[in-house]
Amino acid sequence: MTQRGAGGGEPPDDYLEAAIQRLLTERTEIAEQGITVSRRDHSVVLCGEVESAQRREEILRLVLEHFPEVPVMVDIGLIRTQAPTEVEELR
Amino acid sequence: MVIRIAAVGDVHLDKDVVGRFRPALEQLPDSADVLLLAGDLTRHGTESEARCVATEFGNLGVPVVAVLGNHDHHCDEVPAVIRTLEDAGILVLEGTNVVLDCAGVRLGIAGAKGFGGGFAGRCASEFGEPEMKAFVRTTSAIADQLGEALREMDCDVRVALTHYAPVPDTLAGEPPEIYPFLGSYLLGQAIDSAPTELALHGHAHAGTERGTTPGGVRVRNVAHPVIKQAYSVFHLHPPYAGATAGKVSAISARGSS
Ligand SMILES: [Fe+2]
Ligand SMILES: [Fe+2]
Repeated sequence: MTQRGAGGGEPPDDYLEAAIQRLLTERTEIAEQGITVSRRDHSVVLCGEVESAQRREEILRLVLEHFPEVPVMVDIGLIRTQAPTEVEELR
Repeated sequence: MVIRIAAVGDVHLDKDVVGRFRPALEQLPDSADVLLLAGDLTRHGTESEARCVATEFGNLGVPVVAVLGNHDHHCDEVPAVIRTLEDAGILVLEGTNVVLDCAGVRLGIAGAKGFGGGFAGRCASEFGEPEMKAFVRTTSAIADQLGEALREMDCDVRVALTHYAPVPDTLAGEPPEIYPFLGSYLLGQAIDSAPTELALHGHAHAGTERGTTPGGVRVRNVAHPVIKQAYSVFHLHPPYAGATAGKVSAISARGSS
């Protein structure tokens, strides 16, 4: 065990990723399993696609609220909902 | 003669999403005979979210057939969720089937949520702790029901609809460590136990579209984040050249009726 997490401040990186992932999945106002959480230097990057702009904002708000010490980058898009322009022929 | 099947899964609806799919859905009856929903219809399985699904996917002008996903189970309100969907005319399959008449061709759809366990060589076994045995038994019971539901249909074209994946092919893009939570080879085996034409599933948001069962059945992952459009449309062309004995007898049965 390194000293980093021992002070009760910022959790070690591996645990931080898992904690954010579980937060996004298990908080029912989010219930999002499709977001990947990865580290880049000293920040955490949230990547993926969601069904509405509100969800993207909720995710950011929740992560900032629970991990105020961690710099967060958000790269979350909206999944497109246009009608298909092509069909797949299965013969 | 073409059967046109529209499908999407993992729409994860709540109030914030209602209306987003509707413009594309209004055009659906022009391009498809049926819409199949591959589970995770709600955000976390409440009755109020199911009402959002009913609003968005009800009254389409074509039959809508669904299976539930793990998100639809989260709040333990499954009976209320199913009732809400069925009140809106959305048929929910769980180890059951339905045969629809598509301009004289009988389209059989068998559906089940499915469950995890993993794929040949890297799968969980019914061994050890009760929790582990219960996990594997859950999947095998669901797979048995799916196989039975597929085989017993008297129809011209068979389609299997699940939430969990029947093959690992369509999981490519997901971390390999989580494959056992995304599907089971037992579902693939069930699909291969009948002359199935197409198997549709969702659940693997980071997976890929195309795969095949060991028995040669085409598999498509129609999770919304994978197809990146309101729904996909597949054209099936019965009767097939080189049809199996099962298909030939189904065709002659139709001819004599
Ligand atoms: Fe999903
Ligand atoms: Fe799912």
